Formats: sequence, structure tokens, C-alpha cells
Amino acid sequence: MDSSLFLPLLVSCRLVLAIVPIPLINEFQHDHQLSSPLTSYPRLKEGLWLYQHDVDPYAGGVFRHSPLLLSLFSTVLPPLPVIWALCDIVGAWALLRIWRARQRVGKGSSGRDSLVAAVYLLNPYLLLPSLALSTSTFENTALLLTLMLASEGNRSPALLALAFTTHLSLSTFLLVVPVLMLLVSSPVSQLASPRPFAGNLMTACKYAGEFIAYWLVLIGAASIMAGGGWGWVRETWGASLTLPDLAPNPGLWWYFFTEMFDHFRPFFLMVFSVHLVIYILPICIKFQHDTLYVSFLLVGILGIFKAYLTLADPGLFLSMFVLFPEVYPYLRHPIVTTLLHTHASLLLPLFHALWVTEGRGNANFYYAASLVMGVAGGAGVVDACFAGMRIAIGDVVEGERGKWEVVQE
Amino acid sequence: MRLHQLPHNCLLLLACLATWSVGILASSGSQDEQVSSFFGRHDGDSGHTNNWAVLVCASRYWFNYRHMANALGMYRTVKRLGIPDSNIILMLADDVACNTRNKFPGSVYAKAGRHLDLYGENIEVDYRGYEVTVENFIRLLTGRVDPSVPRSKRLLTDDRSNIFVYMTGHGGNEFLKFQDNEEISAFDIADAFEQMWQKKRYNEIFFMIDTCQANTMYSQFYSPNILATGSSEIEENSYSHENDNDIGVSVIDSYTHFVLEFMEGINKTSQVPIQDLFSSYDPVPIRSHPGVRSDLFRRPLDKALITDFFGGVAQVEMFPAVEEKIQANTFVSKCSQDTKIPQQHPPNPTADELISGEVHANTTSVPLSGFANQPWDTRWKEIRKWTSVLLVGSLVGWVSFAR
Repeated sequence: MDSSLFLPLLVSCRLVLAIVPIPLINEFQHDHQLSSPLTSYPRLKEGLWLYQHDVDPYAGGVFRHSPLLLSLFSTVLPPLPVIWALCDIVGAWALLRIWRARQRVGKGSSGRDSLVAAVYLLNPYLLLPSLALSTSTFENTALLLTLMLASEGNRSPALLALAFTTHLSLSTFLLVVPVLMLLVSSPVSQLASPRPFAGNLMTACKYAGEFIAYWLVLIGAASIMAGGGWGWVRETWGASLTLPDLAPNPGLWWYFFTEMFDHFRPFFLMVFSVHLVIYILPICIKFQHDTLYVSFLLVGILGIFKAYLTLADPGLFLSMFVLFPEVYPYLRHPIVTTLLHTHASLLLPLFHALWVTEGRGNANFYYAASLVMGVAGGAGVVDACFAGMRIAIGDVVEGERGKWEVVQE
Repeated sequence: MRLHQLPHNCLLLLACLATWSVGILASSGSQDEQVSSFFGRHDGDSGHTNNWAVLVCASRYWFNYRHMANALGMYRTVKRLGIPDSNIILMLADDVACNTRNKFPGSVYAKAGRHLDLYGENIEVDYRGYEVTVENFIRLLTGRVDPSVPRSKRLLTDDRSNIFVYMTGHGGNEFLKFQDNEEISAFDIADAFEQMWQKKRYNEIFFMIDTCQANTMYSQFYSPNILATGSSEIEENSYSHENDNDIGVSVIDSYTHFVLEFMEGINKTSQVPIQDLFSSYDPVPIRSHPGVRSDLFRRPLDKALITDFFGGVAQVEMFPAVEEKIQANTFVSKCSQDTKIPQQHPPNPTADELISGEVHANTTSVPLSGFANQPWDTRWKEIRKWTSVLLVGSLVGWVSFAR
């Protein structure tokens, strides 16, 4: 197909999906796979209504979005589906720019432009939550904008976008270190030739200071919006740390904590949160030659172990695979990962309906499906990690194929 | 102590005692008044704080479908008017819904035409099948149950509980047949109620019975605060109301049918007195003479409300809100449907101090958890949101263009 027409066609299709009323699409807004208590659209509207009627939205445990979203949607923009469509398009554009930066294409277009945009816009894991008007669209777009600006070397915009990303979703705090590293190095692929980290750590620390400044300004704006208190911190970021709402989701936390004795709860909340943090340093050190790949792997980790997971999180990881075609020949089990994801994406809504709607199953069915989703995500991350390292060793030369092969110890 | 000082000491002790007792009486007088006005029984008030229902169907087998439907119809009415499942003891043989002769399995209907399924998916039968025995019934009422009996099968009433006891089945002159196996007599029930009175297990009982010669069953009661009604006089049968041609048996008894029809016009906030129910009895369509026994009931029947027994209605006193300025921004709180507007009963003079005149009838300001920490300043709401948006917008603009 003619690639110059394909991109506008995708964009217009996405806009049409937002404008034309599709039957049953309002059911998506209540689906537990597509949105979580932190990202759900009905809760966003509830918070806006409460604010409009002089009630503190953060007092009830219903509204867990950031105060900046509250202020944005109550002043400048109304929360219409077309905004989500535009956000998707911006996210696809950002992914495209990251791709071009990585391929050193510059302002021109590369051959795979339409494929990159299509992988983002047509990914069902990303499209369905966007149609469900989940604010994970904003989080993903902010993250992609951060990576785009960091890949292109725009220091301050990248740090501001990083501040926005971390503000909207606390778990993306994992990506602060790789983005800072990316700012001082290059996004071009170095996977095949690992070398020690080329950037200057001192400048990275200075950039960290600037990031913290922007972050504090955002916190200030949020506190002004929320009435000058800190209750909103407990409700928004504190939700990822203390897990107050045990609504089922495709993640791994909720089931564990439904059957947790209160005595052990703080300990295991600490364990689960620290678990996310321990991946930063090893992955950064191991892949210090290609920090965009570090971000990719950490997005994958988040897509498995985040507190309030939705399908959008593994969806972003799968879409970002398109940025790294050099690792495709070295993936050991892409078909297994694909099948696991297919399996999980079919089982999750099925077992949810069986448990919640029909009452014939129970929570264990749904948790088993979310475990399959976790295994699928894990298979993807492990395979990407292996391929990223394997590519450095190179191909086995034809003549020597019988003599030796590369294995993992 | 010298002996000659004894009269002096005695006098001193007496004086101390006198002043102490006078002081106690004086100080507690006003406090007692306030407390008793809040918790006590006002004239015309039943003085109950919770409602229970004991619904017994004493028959089994397919041809006694109508007795099951009687009890389930009462169950539905009582639940609809607000008594929760935790306060309802339903004793049924429960062998018609899944009976192999039931053309509509899993359903029990009370009217020909089968428009309303009383069995449904959400009923809670506490004593089913062979557990419906005379011994279990009397143990339930008196509270003398085995320690292993679960809470859902106990009548956990206290001295402020109003209990609605409904019994249906085959009966006769001062007896009721339990499951073709045994009988309970009117004396047994009267003694059980007396035990309940002595153990302070009820505030008022409304006893309703639909069997043949039903009015004899309440003739032996002797405990106070019992209001009783039955479907037929001595030597008189109670008849079924109608058959359903597809189910093949009678689906409801006549007396219970007309009582349920009357109750369909009652909802949770209804102020209809129980005298209206009794006045609606018409022996011609019911085909028997229902009776009422109210000599043991201390309140006049036109003051006692139907919802005193059938509904799970609670009394609520509303207090003024914590902060003055919040009252200016009242919003309708989600009052549970069980609250009665206190204006129905003229408040006592001391209660006026509690109920603020500023609180309107239908709205109250509930201080939210956020209020205690931060007064939600509504004046600044607009300013705050625009400030926040403009701050973020200017930051974005400055970073994009200036750096």
C-alpha cells in the first residue's frame, strides 16, 4: 500500500472512531481490563462533578487522578473522546520520531514510518483502553514524548515531559534514570557493540536537578488545585504504594493483597514496591551502551509488575518492539510470547465475565488468567533482554556452524 | 470514737447522706430527662429500635404449594419494606421450587398468571426442610439454642425489637400442624412469648396466622405488647384463593392474598396505621372471618403504624453541622431510605436544643473527612483551577520557547 497515504488514513480512522458513536462502546469504560481505579473515565467524571459541586474530590477514595487532569478538564478542555484520539495520534507521532532519531534519519521519512505508526495506533492493547477513555493514554503519550524529546536531545522539554510523566503515574519513576542517561548519550542503536557509558554523569546530575525543579512546580500547581493540602498525594501516588482499592485488574498485586492479613500488609507492600525499583540499576548497568533499550526493558517490567495494571501497559511494551528490529533475528521464542499474549487476552475477559457477570466462576479463574498475562509479559521481557545481549556476540559464521554455538550458561 | 460523740457523728453522716442524695437527684434530673427523651418511649411511639421477622411455613409437600407461597410472599413484602435478611428468620420446607412436579423449576408464584417469581435468586431460607420443627421454633423464639447454631439461625432480638411473627400451614382448634409430623399448640406459643417477655426479648410482637380456625391460636396469649390477627374463627376453615392452571395446585391462600394486596400499597415511608389493615378485612372475598386481638397491646391501633412491624425503619435525630459556613452550601446527602423525618413526631422541648432550626427537612450538611483538615473554600475554586492551569501552561510555554 502507498505509504504516503497510509499515515493520513490511520489518523483519520482513529479520529472517526472517536467521533462516530459505536454501539456498546460505553461498556468499555467499566471494563476492568481496559482501565483501573487510577485511570478510569467514570471516576474522572465523578471527580469533575464533585469539584464542580464544592466537594473535595480526594475525600472519598473515588477519584485518584492527578489534580492537573482535574484542572485541565474543568477549565480548558472538556473530557471528550476526540481528545483521546488526538493523544493517540500524538503518541504515534512521538514513536515515529523516536524511530527516526534511532535510525539517524533526521527530518526525512524512513521506509517503515507507516509500520511504526500502525503498530501504535492499531495495537488492540492500546486502542481499546483509548476507546474506553482510560487516562493511561495520556500516561503513555507523555512517556513517548519524553523518550522522543530525550532522543532528539531537547534537554528542557524532555525533562519537563519527564516531570509530567512521573506526575501522572508514580510507577514511571523507574524511567527517570534511563531518560537522564539518554539525554547525555545517543539514541542510536549500540546494541551490537557494547561499550562503557559514553555520557557525562555530572551533566546527568545537573539535569536531574532541573527535572526536580520542574517536578516541584508541577506539585505546587497540583497542590494549589487540590486546595493547598497533601491529601491528593495520598490518594493518587499513595494508591500505587498502599493499594487501597482491590478492584480486579490484569495485574498481579490485587489477588495477593485480597488474602493478605493486615499484619503483613505493610511488609509486602514494601516488598512489591522495592521489587519494581531493583530492576533499574542492573538493567541500566547491563545496557549502558543503549539507554533507549533500557527504557524499553523497564517499560516491559512496568507492564508486568505495576500496581494497577491495565492492558495499556504491556501494550506500550509490545508497541515499542517496533523500534528495535535489529533484535528480531535473535529473539528465541517470539511465537511463544505471541501465543501467550493471545491466550491471556482471550482468557481475561472470559474469566472476568464468568466470575463477575455470571457468577459461575470465582476470583481464582481470573487470577489464573492474569498470571498467564504475567507470564506472557515476562516471556517478552526475558526474550528482549536475551536478544539485546545476544546481538552483541554476533552471528555464528556459516562454516563454523557445526563447530560451536552460542548458549546461555 | 467516744461514746458521747456518737449522736454528733450520726447526725453528720445523715447530713452528708442527705446532701449527697439530693445532689445526685438534682444533677441527674435534667440529664435523665434528656437521655430519656432521646431513648425513651414517647406517647404514640412504639419505642422500638430494630425490626425482626419470623416467617414460618409449617407444611411440606407439593400440594401445600400455597403455604410456601404465603410465607415467601410475606418474606418479599417484609424485605421490600426494609427489614434486612439478617433480621429475617425464614422457616420453610422449601420443597416446591425444585420439586420434580414443578413445571417452572426454581420458581414459586403466588398468583395465577405467574408474573412475579417469589423464589428468585436472592432469598435466604434459614431453616429448611426437616429443620422446621416445633422444637427448633420454640428454641428460636426463646433463644435457648445449642451453642453450635449459627448466628443466621438465631433470633438476636433485644428489648427494643419489634417482631413480626407469621405462621401458615394446616391448623385447627388451638393447634398448628408442623410438617405432617407434629403439632404446636396455642399454649406452647403463649408460653414461648412469655419466656421472651421475661427475658426481655421483644418490645412488641405482631402475630399473624393463616390456617383453619386460626383465631384460636392467639386466644391463649397472656404476655403484654402482643397484637395478634388470624384468618378465621373457630369452627371455620381458611380457604385458598386461586389455582394456576399450569402449576396445577392452589398458589395462595385467601387471607394472605388480601393482606399482601393491601401491603402492596405500603412503602417504606408510609404512615398508614395498622387499624387500616384490619379495617380492610372483608369476610366476603376472604371467605372467612379474620379476627384481631388487641387487648394485650398497649397502644391504640390507629397510632401503631404498619411499618412499625413490617418495615425496617429506624428513627434518626439530625444534629447541626460542624461548621457554620458549610450550611450555606447544603447538598442533599444520601440519606438512607430508612430515615423517618423527625417532624412527624412533635419533638420534646429538650430535644429542640438538639435539633437546630437551621437544618432543613430534606438536606443536611455532612462534614466530610476533608473538612476537618482543610475547609473547602468554594470562593477560591475558580481562581485555584485557573491558577493551576495557567501555571502549568506557562511552564510548558517557557520551556518550549525560551529554552
